[in-house]
Amino acid sequence: MTDNNLNNVANQPAENVTENIAETIADINAGVAAAAPTGGKAKKKKSDYRVTNFEIIRNYRHYTTKERKHYKYIFWRRIASYVWPFFRFVIIFGLSFVILYPILYMISTSLRPQVEMNDPSIMWIPKTIRLENFVEVWKAIEYPQALWNTLVLNIISSVLQVGTCALTGYGFARFRFKGKGLMFAIVLLQIIVPVQIILIPQYMQFRYFDIFGLFNAVMGDSLTLTNTNFAMYIPALFCNGIRAGLFIYLFRQFFRGLPKELEDAAYLDGCGPFKTFISVMVPNAASSFLTVFIFSIVWYWNDYYVSSMYFSNANTISMKIDNIATTVSLYLTGEVGNALDFVVWMEAGCLLAITPIVIMYIFLQKYFTEGIERAGLAN
Amino acid sequence: MSDEKNLGKSTEQVAAEEIAAPKTEAVKTEEIAEAVQETPKAAPKVSAHNTAAAAAFNASSEETDIRRKDGEKVQLKIKTNKIPYEKKKNLYGYGFVALWAIGTIWLFIIPVIKSLWYSLCDTSLLDKSEALLKGMTSAGIYTEWNNFYNYKRAFTIDTNFAPKLTASLGEILPQAVVILIFSLFIAVILNQKFRGRTLARAIFFLPVLIATGPVISVINGDMASQGVSDAVQFSSLFKTDLVSELMEFIGIYNINQQFTEFIEGITSNVLNLVWNSGIQILIFLSALQNIPPSSKEAANMEGATAWEFFWKITFPIISPMILANLVYTIIDAFVSSDNEVMKYVLQRSTDWEHGYAAALAWIYFAIIGAILGIVCLIINRFVYYENE
Repeated sequence: MTDNNLNNVANQPAENVTENIAETIADINAGVAAAAPTGGKAKKKKSDYRVTNFEIIRNYRHYTTKERKHYKYIFWRRIASYVWPFFRFVIIFGLSFVILYPILYMISTSLRPQVEMNDPSIMWIPKTIRLENFVEVWKAIEYPQALWNTLVLNIISSVLQVGTCALTGYGFARFRFKGKGLMFAIVLLQIIVPVQIILIPQYMQFRYFDIFGLFNAVMGDSLTLTNTNFAMYIPALFCNGIRAGLFIYLFRQFFRGLPKELEDAAYLDGCGPFKTFISVMVPNAASSFLTVFIFSIVWYWNDYYVSSMYFSNANTISMKIDNIATTVSLYLTGEVGNALDFVVWMEAGCLLAITPIVIMYIFLQKYFTEGIERAGLAN
Repeated sequence: MSDEKNLGKSTEQVAAEEIAAPKTEAVKTEEIAEAVQETPKAAPKVSAHNTAAAAAFNASSEETDIRRKDGEKVQLKIKTNKIPYEKKKNLYGYGFVALWAIGTIWLFIIPVIKSLWYSLCDTSLLDKSEALLKGMTSAGIYTEWNNFYNYKRAFTIDTNFAPKLTASLGEILPQAVVILIFSLFIAVILNQKFRGRTLARAIFFLPVLIATGPVISVINGDMASQGVSDAVQFSSLFKTDLVSELMEFIGIYNINQQFTEFIEGITSNVLNLVWNSGIQILIFLSALQNIPPSSKEAANMEGATAWEFFWKITFPIISPMILANLVYTIIDAFVSSDNEVMKYVLQRSTDWEHGYAAALAWIYFAIIGAILGIVCLIINRFVYYENE
């Protein structure tokens, strides 16, 4: 309301301005009086100099041009400080709703029977609650087995990846050696080049895995590493897992931000560079490690593109969710049906898929949001 | 390949030297330290590293022992003699990077070159017996040069690729700009102090967890990836067109057809927008935290409004991150696995048309690269770097 009136004021002739503003400001002034701290002599003295918005408007015509500019500034600042929090609340609340909307929708649909999907009288709360949806999806995607597979794959890959990326990032951050510029350019290239380009040759390397023809000579044939977890572990071990380039970059930024004196002290105590890294840098970088580790977990958890290349049958949760319509309809009816007939089961499956990671997020949320700020993502 | 071997060797050698050095040279250092009584503390007892450094220093400066009393010259000597130790330390750099270097050559550079080669060839997958007949050592992809046929095919014969390419280009570029502005705005808000900020941040980062996964395609109601023929948006609730109702309410609906379409085009996928800008918000937020609070105070003293502060201080400081974010957004949108072109490429490669899939991927990547190059060139002129 106040904002509207003020905008009108701007268009009106100068004589009316003061009176109009006076009206609209009256209630705000009351707020000022209530919010102003009372008590304490020093503060009281300060408030003697304080000019309320009301006074600014009343005396506006007596001010010199310089004073006018000054008081105008103060006036608008005060107005903004009252109006802005309200707008901010509206924006944040609205967008939070947009973010939570699909999740709420998911919960709402996953609890109802399929028949009620097409019932126009039901918006959010279903008439009958049907928990069997979850049980059926649980069985259809073999949830415990899939969860176990995903966890094993996820955690081992992430640990390997975070460890080796930290090593590499530290190497780039603290040592000067020939070809470092070129190598780092390759790291940046790794961030940019889409995995889709190199996935096929990579696949061939794991499908016919061989080290300089060694296995071929000894065992008569090359190894097949696809459909085994090693196809994910080996890239992670060699710093080439999912989004490894980004992690190297993050670690480099972070280690560059740590003071050099830390290491100098360790060197004086007789540690070699590697021992220094383990005993001094790693503990100092703990929050950064945790952040990158969470990122790694999340991206491995969500990946289905790379893993669907290496695994011919879906055995991680993401791959199962990618196929969920087919899986559910096969389980329930024995044939591939229309996805529209299985919406409630699909939504239930999605809920099951995001639950573990949301739980992790709730527990580690503090580190995830605060830690990233310290991880030197900026610069 | 020989490079990695050298890398490995050099680190091993360094390690060997490390062990050998202190034992032999520590003796020398102690002798010299006794002789030069001015620096008794230089005699190390424990530290392997220290001894190595000191030994290196002393060993090469033995001949200058007489001139020890001349303070300046000793100083000079120390400076010049430090180099071997520094060099040794920097060799460790190769040790730290070795694992990555091996992995990158093996899993990144070779595949990149190979895929470039595949894209120029007819490819066929052979098992071992066939491969031996064709003169290969083991099973694998057999390639035959085909005179750029794959590239010709992509543009002249294939009727699916070009429309998908132009569609995704036209869709992604405007969206990247909108995402950028939106996420900067949200980051500025989330950077302010207010009650419930932690909760708001937690909610706004929630999409980071979910948006990269397959769940998002179910959320978007995108059934095409589900292998089901009916690509219908099933979640009809999302279709409620709040924005056009709002525009009607204000009275600006249908004043100008193009304007309305433009607004609707942007706002109709607010959901997409919010769900795709999680990481960008995160990056901007961390950049905003790096603005020194003193600059805010100074600006306040000078009487700057929040608006002026944003454009004259905040914006220049975070401008490098704006560029970085733009690059990230464009890449992320182009390579996300529900991008139409990406799906098409994957489809080709699952159909065992590896050469053709590689050619498509390279065309696509060349276009992305060109766009990124142009964007960087233009924006870099407006970016403010503090160090320069």
